[in-house]
Order: sequence, then C-alpha cells, then structure tokens
Amino acid sequence: MPVLTAILLLPFLGALVILLVPSARVLAIKVVAAVAASGTLGLSLYVFLSYDHVRGGYQFIETYRWLPGAGISFHLGVDGISVPMVLLTGVIIFAGVFIAWNTALRAKDFFVLLLLLVTGVMGVFISLDLFFLFFFYELAVLPMYLLIGVWGSSSDFGTFIRTKEYGAMKLTIYLVAGSVLVWVGILAVYVAAGLGTFDMVALGRDALTPDLQRLVFPLFLVGFGVLAGLWPFHTWSPDGHVAAPTAVSMLHAGVLMKLGAFGIIRVGIGLLPQGAEAWMPLLMVLGTINVVYGAISALSQRDLKYVVGYSSVSHMGYVLMGFATLNPVGMSGAVLQMFSHGIMTALFFALVGFIYDRAHTRDITMFGGLAKRMGTTAAFFTVAGLTSMGLPGLSGFVAEFLVFVGTFQTYPLFGALGIAGAAITAIYILRLLARVFFGPLDPRWEGLSDPTRIETFASAVLVLVLIFVGLYPAPLMAAINSGIGPLLAGIPGAG
Amino acid sequence: MSGWSLPGMEWAWLAPVLCLGAFVIITLWGRRLPQGGAYVAISATGIGLLLSLFVLRDLLFSHPRSFGFTWFEAAGTRLEIGMILDPLSVLMLGVVGLVALVVQVYSLGYMHGDPRFSWYFAAHSLFAAAMLGLVLADNFLLLYMAWELVGLGSYLLIGFWYERRSAAEAAKKAFITTRIGDVGLLIGILMLFNVTGTFSISRTLEAAAAGDIASGTLTAATLLIFLGAVGKSAQFPLHVWLPDAMEGPTPVSALIHAATMVAAGVYLVARTFPLFQAAPGALEVVALIGLFTTLLAATMALVMTDLKRVLAYSTISQLGFMMLALGSLGYTAAVFHLMTHAFFKALLFLGAGSVLHSTGKMDIREMGGLRRRMPITTITFAIAALALAGLPPLSGFFSKDEVLGAVYQNQGPIIFGLTLLAAFLSALYMARLLFVVFGGKLKPANDHIHESPLVMTLPMMVLGLLALVSGLAAMNWAGPLLGLPAQYQGIGSFLFLHEAEAFHARPALMLSSTAIALLGLFGGWAIYSRGWIRPEAISRRFAPVHRVIENKYYLDDLYGGVTNRVVLAFSNLVALFDRLVINDRGVNGTAGLPVLAGGKLRYHLTGKLYNYGLAMAAGIVLIILAAFLL
Repeated sequence: MPVLTAILLLPFLGALVILLVPSARVLAIKVVAAVAASGTLGLSLYVFLSYDHVRGGYQFIETYRWLPGAGISFHLGVDGISVPMVLLTGVIIFAGVFIAWNTALRAKDFFVLLLLLVTGVMGVFISLDLFFLFFFYELAVLPMYLLIGVWGSSSDFGTFIRTKEYGAMKLTIYLVAGSVLVWVGILAVYVAAGLGTFDMVALGRDALTPDLQRLVFPLFLVGFGVLAGLWPFHTWSPDGHVAAPTAVSMLHAGVLMKLGAFGIIRVGIGLLPQGAEAWMPLLMVLGTINVVYGAISALSQRDLKYVVGYSSVSHMGYVLMGFATLNPVGMSGAVLQMFSHGIMTALFFALVGFIYDRAHTRDITMFGGLAKRMGTTAAFFTVAGLTSMGLPGLSGFVAEFLVFVGTFQTYPLFGALGIAGAAITAIYILRLLARVFFGPLDPRWEGLSDPTRIETFASAVLVLVLIFVGLYPAPLMAAINSGIGPLLAGIPGAG
Repeated sequence: MSGWSLPGMEWAWLAPVLCLGAFVIITLWGRRLPQGGAYVAISATGIGLLLSLFVLRDLLFSHPRSFGFTWFEAAGTRLEIGMILDPLSVLMLGVVGLVALVVQVYSLGYMHGDPRFSWYFAAHSLFAAAMLGLVLADNFLLLYMAWELVGLGSYLLIGFWYERRSAAEAAKKAFITTRIGDVGLLIGILMLFNVTGTFSISRTLEAAAAGDIASGTLTAATLLIFLGAVGKSAQFPLHVWLPDAMEGPTPVSALIHAATMVAAGVYLVARTFPLFQAAPGALEVVALIGLFTTLLAATMALVMTDLKRVLAYSTISQLGFMMLALGSLGYTAAVFHLMTHAFFKALLFLGAGSVLHSTGKMDIREMGGLRRRMPITTITFAIAALALAGLPPLSGFFSKDEVLGAVYQNQGPIIFGLTLLAAFLSALYMARLLFVVFGGKLKPANDHIHESPLVMTLPMMVLGLLALVSGLAAMNWAGPLLGLPAQYQGIGSFLFLHEAEAFHARPALMLSSTAIALLGLFGGWAIYSRGWIRPEAISRRFAPVHRVIENKYYLDDLYGGVTNRVVLAFSNLVALFDRLVINDRGVNGTAGLPVLAGGKLRYHLTGKLYNYGLAMAAGIVLIILAAFLL
C-alpha cells in the first residue's frame, strides 16, 4: 500500500469532500475534518510503528516519473528524522481539529484551508525530490495567509497595536523571502551538481565541491532558518502566532516552524555536509542568542500569546544549537526537541485559546486566580510550562539534556549559556503561572469555566504525549538515532 | 519456605515507584476514593519503609551493591539510570520513608476538611517518590532528574493554598532560587561527563580519586555541584527561599523544609565527597559557606517572632552546621547530624503545626502558657528543642558533639570558637521558643484551646522517641546490642564500612559542649522566663543591629530589587529593542524600501505601449548578447 501517498492525499481529499458539503451543515463539515485528521494520525502512527529503525535509511519509498526531462520525479520516502515529524503533524492536526470544533465564522473555508495546510506540511516531510519539497513548502505557507488574515485576532495594548492583517502579511512576506533564498539554493545545487536531477537521494552528499558547498549552504541556512525562527529573522513568528486563530497557531508554531528546521537538516546538512561544517559556529552563536534573547523577551510580555510566541523563538534556539554541534548526541537532541517543542507549544496555544475564548482578553495583568475556575486548564498549563522549563519526566527535559550534552562536547561556554537560558525560562513561566492562575480570584472572572469535553480530550492527548516521551523516549530515539548516523557520515570532523 | 526469600536490595526501587504510583492514582481518581485516597499514599509510603528495613537487613549481612539499566540511547551515547545501595543511601531511605510516613499520618488530622485534601496527598506522594529516587541514585542523570522533581514537589506544596498571593509568590521564589543552584549542578555534571564519559557517580568518583580529572576542571565542576547543594540546602547566599516556604501547610514544612529536601544538598555533598576531597580548595569553600550560614541564620532565628520562621532559620543554621562538618572532613558527623536533625526538626514543625492548629496563631508574642492546655505537644516539643540545643543524652547531643569534634580537629581556633558560638546561639533561640510559647501564663484569648487529636499527637510521640534515642546509634555498643555482625559497632562503622570509625568520645569536648548548651538554655531562661534582662531592653540597646537582623540583613530586599528592577528592566529593554530596532527599523524599514522604490519607479510606468515595447526589445537584445558572450 502506498502509505505515504495516502498520508499526503487524505487531508487533501478531506478538503475536497468538505468543499462539496453545503456550508450550512457545519456539523457534517467538522465530522469530515475529524475523520480526515484521525485518519492522518492513524497513518502516521502506522508509519512510525512499522518504520524499521534497525535497517534505517529511507523506507516506504514511492517513485513516480513526473518530468523526466527536467530530472523531476515524485519521490517519497521517510527516514528516522522525518518519521517523528510525520507523527508530530498527525498528532497536532488531530488535536487541532477538535480544538477548532467551535469555529463559527465560515467553518467550511476554515477547515478546507486547515487540511490543505496539512497536505503541504506532510509533503515537505516526505518528499525526497527537491522540486516537490519546495512545492509543498510553498503550499504550506499560502493557506496560512488566509487563515490568519480572516480568522485571526488583533492585539491592542494602546501603545502597542498589531493587527491580524499585519501579522498575516508579515508572515507571508518573510516566508516567501526565505523561500526565494531556498529556491536559489536548490537551483544552484541542481546546476552545479550537473547530474540533471532534483532527487536528493541521487544527489547524495558530495554532489558539490566543498568550496561550492560552503558558498551555497548559507542560502539554505537563512532561507529555511527564517521559518525556524532564526535570530534576527524571528519577528514574524511571535506576531504571526499571536494573530493566528488557536488551531492555526498550534500548527504554525507546532509544525510549520519545524519545516524550517527540517529543511536545514534534510537539505542543508544532508546535501551540503561540508558547507554545514563551515557555517556551524555561526549557527551556534545565533542559536544561543535565540535561546537567551527569546527567553528574556518573553519575560516582559503582557499578552499571554506573545509570551508563548517568544518562548517558541527561545526553544527553537535549542534545535539550532543541537544542529550546530554536528555531533550525534546534540543532533538527536535537536530532532527530539523539534518533536517535543511541537507538542508543547501546540498545547500552550490551545490553552491560551481556551482562556481567550472565555475571557476575551489575553492581558496577563488582568488575570488572577484562574485556577479556581479553570482547574483543568491550570493543570495542563502547568504541565506545558514545566515541559518548557525542562523538568524531568516530560519530553522537553530529554531533548534539552541531549542538546546540552552535545553542546558541552563542542562549545562548553555556549552550553552553559543554554542552561542559563533554561533558568530564565523558569522565571517567565513561573511568573506567568503565579500571575494568571494563582493568587486570589479576580471577581471579574467568577463566570469562567473549564474547557468543554472535546477540548479537554484534545489537549489531554497532547499532555499524554509529553509525559510518555518524557518517561519513555526510547521508541522515538531509536528512530531518530537511525536517521542521525547516515547524516553525520558525510562530515569528516563530526562525531 | 523454599522457593522464595525475603526481599533484598534488588527491590529497593520499588519504594519510589510505589509512591509514584500513588501519585498517579490519587491524581486521577483521588476524589472518588474514600478519604480522598490518603490511605493509598500512606500504604505506599508504609510498604516502602518496610521494604527499606529488609534492604537494611540485606545490606548488613552482605555488601553494598548497585543496579542499573539503560534508559534509552541517543546516537551512540547510552543514557543509564541506576541505584546504589550502600550505607549512606540505605540510611537516607529509612530516614526519608520514616519521616514521610509519620508526616502523612499527622496530615490526616491536620489537613482534615481541606477542600483539596486529595491533591495534598497526591503531591505528597510525588515528593516522596522523587526524594526516595534521589537518595537511591547512583547516577548523575537520575540524581538530577529526582533533584528537579523534588523541587517540583516542594513548589506544588508550598503553593498548596494558591489562592493566597503570598503562597503563590513563595512557591515561585523557592523554585526560581533553587533553580539558580541547579544551573550550577547541571553544568558541573556535564563538565564531569565530558571528561569521564559516564554519568555513573561511583565511576566518576573513582576517576576523580585516581587523578584522571585535571584539577582546574575538577575544582570548577565540584564547586558548581556545590552551588546546587547551596540552593537546595538553603545556604547563603541562596537561603532566602526557605523562610518564605513556610507559606505551605505545616506538615509540608516538617517533611520537605526541615527533614528531607533541604537535607538533599548535604546528602549530595556527602554522596560526592571524594570529589570534594580531590578538588583543591573545595572543602574550604564548603566549610566557610557552612560556617557563615550557620551564624547568619542563628542570629535571625533569635529575633523572628513567627514561630515557623524561627524554626526555618534554625533549619538553615543547622544545615550550615552540617556543611561546616563536611568541610571539616566530618563525613560521619554530617550524615549523623542530618539523621538526628531530621527527627527532631520534623518534630519541632509538627509541634508548631499542632500549636497553629489549636490557636490559629503563628506569632509567638501572642502565645504563652500553652503547656497548660497542650501537654503532649509541650513535652515532645521540649524534647526536640533540647535535642537541638545539644543536651545530653538526647540525640542532638551526640551528633553535635561529632560535628564539634570534626571542626576542632581540622580547623583553626577561630573557626572552632565561632562554631561554639553557633552552638550557644542555637541553645539560646530554642530556649526562647520554649519559654515564650509554652512557659508563662496562658493568655485569655487562648483559653479555649485544647490538645490536638491522637492522629496528630501519635506521630509526634514517635518522633519524640526517635529524638530521644537515635543518638545512641553512635555508641559502640549499639551494634552488638542489636545483634549485628561484628564489624558494625556504632553509626560511624556503619557509614564507613571499610575504615571502621568509632564514636569519638572526647570528654573535654563533651563537657564543654554540654556547658555551652546549658549556658544557652540558662540565658534563655533568664531572659525570656525570669525576665532578669528584658528582651525589649536588649533590642532597644542594640536598635540598629536589631533592625538589620529583623529585616533579614536586607538580603531579601536586595534580591527582590535586583530581580524587579534590573532583570525586568533589562528584559523590557530587550523587548523594546526587538520591537523598535529589529522590527520597526529592520523589518518594516526593509519593507518600506519597495514602497519607496515603487514610488520612484511609478514615473517610468507611462502606460504608453511603445515605451514598454522598447523596453522589451532592449531586454531581448541584452539576453541574446549575454547568451553569446557567456
């Protein structure tokens, strides 16, 4: 069975079916979306469970001739790095559809775009042909613009105003600018390799001479890095997260930012290992800035969602630091962090969404004592917060710990700064918890209530994943390990 | 009977796992269980304690062992988790299990009727699991994980009454302050891992003892690990969180902030003691921090008027005492004092809880004469207070004497003199509590009070018995009396299996330490009971000093000021930089360029077809030329 094609087409088919349903029949639309999302989760779980990590390499391979003249084929496959990403996407769209259950405004269009977005994201993770990778990459970005522009929300704090239109436009311009660099890079690889193919497997890791690799690598680093929130190209990300509606924020911070990181590792490091080696010290510096700068910025935000937005910038820094180590431990930690941060930040945005839906504000200074009325939300928020602080027993600890181990082997000083960043994270998370959930209940919020059963179920799924991976990371790590090995084989100084 | 035998050391892991299971069960279904699931927690702890007795028995008749397994593998690096069963860990296993059990039973009465009764026992179980895991860990990775989870348990329980702003703030302060220490601990662990390639504590200690670690690295890593201990054990300069932690329910203070978690720092130094011995300068730092902390906190214990805060500062002081012992090579002395202190300090807190339960007050100035209404609380509190003061033959006398002996032997006369001063102060502040709270006349406002129920007094009596007799473990006839193998005499020979260490009976030292304890108690009696010197007169005479101490040396204000002003101001600055420079200049500025360019280019878009045609033709020519030339 062509599983990967199924993963790609299922959300797309779901979107098509929804198009055929009259927009008045909202429940039918949601049921179709839920079925498509559950199917996607089921298939991605299947891929994860049946991926043979002992054998390693690309599996579930499918190849279809598409444009042989230009060297373009529809080539799908997953390895140990993309398998966790596929699973991540499956989990988040599953939770996301249920979190968005109460979408009232133009529900039909919303779910069509949401599912289309998933097809784009999945396509990036499973494409082994640069042309299609790029195609899906763009496909993932475009629905985002509409989703934010139409269903988003603006942020207004008097002295500081960000409209949803601003957020949507900024995000799109940024990502398109990034993808221009990526496209130039892809063409450069295509031309310079002279193999007449866009196939990443055929191109291998020494298609380009070391000098050319060093020249082209920055295009991928910055081009994909924009999407990963790389400092100083990160400002689209908090603005975009904040403007987006809840389910889109979840996909956005949870999965879309991972596309950028995935691009760096799959295309950048995978095709240009020696180029990567030359540029990694810079990435280490920038990644560490991400961590510390993001955490410090999060500390002074008044909008609940901006705190989470800057925390994403900070946590993606650990991914970048892990890449920059170019050693097995650090890289495997980085990939695990991609997974862990995806789930964690999706949970964060879901919970912030619950509060915003009920209180109609996200101003931290207005809250107090919400735990009294929203006990489940408070408990889940604490779990997400503790994950982000890197507390043992939750997935964030495993990932960050591995990144630290790797960083200490290569750049001890930056490792220490990264650990200090985790301490700053503790400060902003605990301040937030104390401000919003603890203390005496503000009488304004007497009428708040915990999320509905459906919302609780969706967020509980995310909580359980965080705990499971935190306690028993072995299955995920087995897959990741099998992906890291071949990747680093091309780097003489690595390992 | 063949086919099965009594559980031995290999089952020790079950103790923390049972408590973890209790946490999960009570969190998920606690509200539907009878008694909010409290008995699940108590059974788990109780079985764990029983188990540790079997483990102790197994250890006494065999030898220390360790067990481990691979948790997971990360691209070639194996992350292992393991436990060690040696005298130190088994002793701690027993102490933690015992105090946790006693406190949980006491809580049945103390927390009765609380709306979150069930959650209290869930969090308690989580803490117990983490603490038991911490003492069993033979592995820096597991140790660090348990270390952090212990902090989480403390955070949840300090903030148990989270509706109170002060409780929420105290929980946050405790977590963040100890986290600063944890940053050091993690960096230290990773520095050592970089050199040794293992997280195993025993193998790391071997490498350090063998001189495989460069001394600069070793000292740096050891001191960073010590920073973690400073945070958890509330040593100067990270001591500020512990007095505030008294916002939690009092039994929590007894277990976490007196007997177990705060002792984890001392335990960590003891567990990694060979590192401190091998690292030049490390022991000196430990001794000095310990000495400074013990004096600083003792003075504060003397002037505070909140019963629990007096006990909190006394705890800090006693922990400093243990650190000082470790810094003076008094390994046995420190661990021994850790054990006796766990019993009598937990008892003091339970006594304070009993007082609070009955009077609803914490200010000792509103108390007095409570002995008339609360005889059991008074007697047990007195036993604990006198043990802390170091009066023979109570437990504190023996352990304190060991500490003094270690300091006397390995430090100069000035440090020894200051240690005696600290001992004197501890007797003085304990006498103050005894006479002010329980002595004198009963105030009319307290006329209605009565003794706490049996479920609370029984645990106090158990701890009272331990505070009375546990010091005798030091005596060389303790082992033979219990029928232990010949090599075990007192606790010294138990902790130092290979180089048996007997209890040091130094008559001169014993006499002088007893004299000092009596002097302190007499001083307290003279001031606070007889009123020969009015305490008010003293504070008036030394008003400036008194004010400084009363304000905790302004350290809390300093830290608060730094976090609120400097850190937050800096963070605002960064956020502003992000908004104004990176975003408004960099991003919107760049975005403005095309707009500007468009504005200029607009004049070239004439809308006349022949203009465009010309441009197209020119372009084609250029491309053709380029194709030829290239």
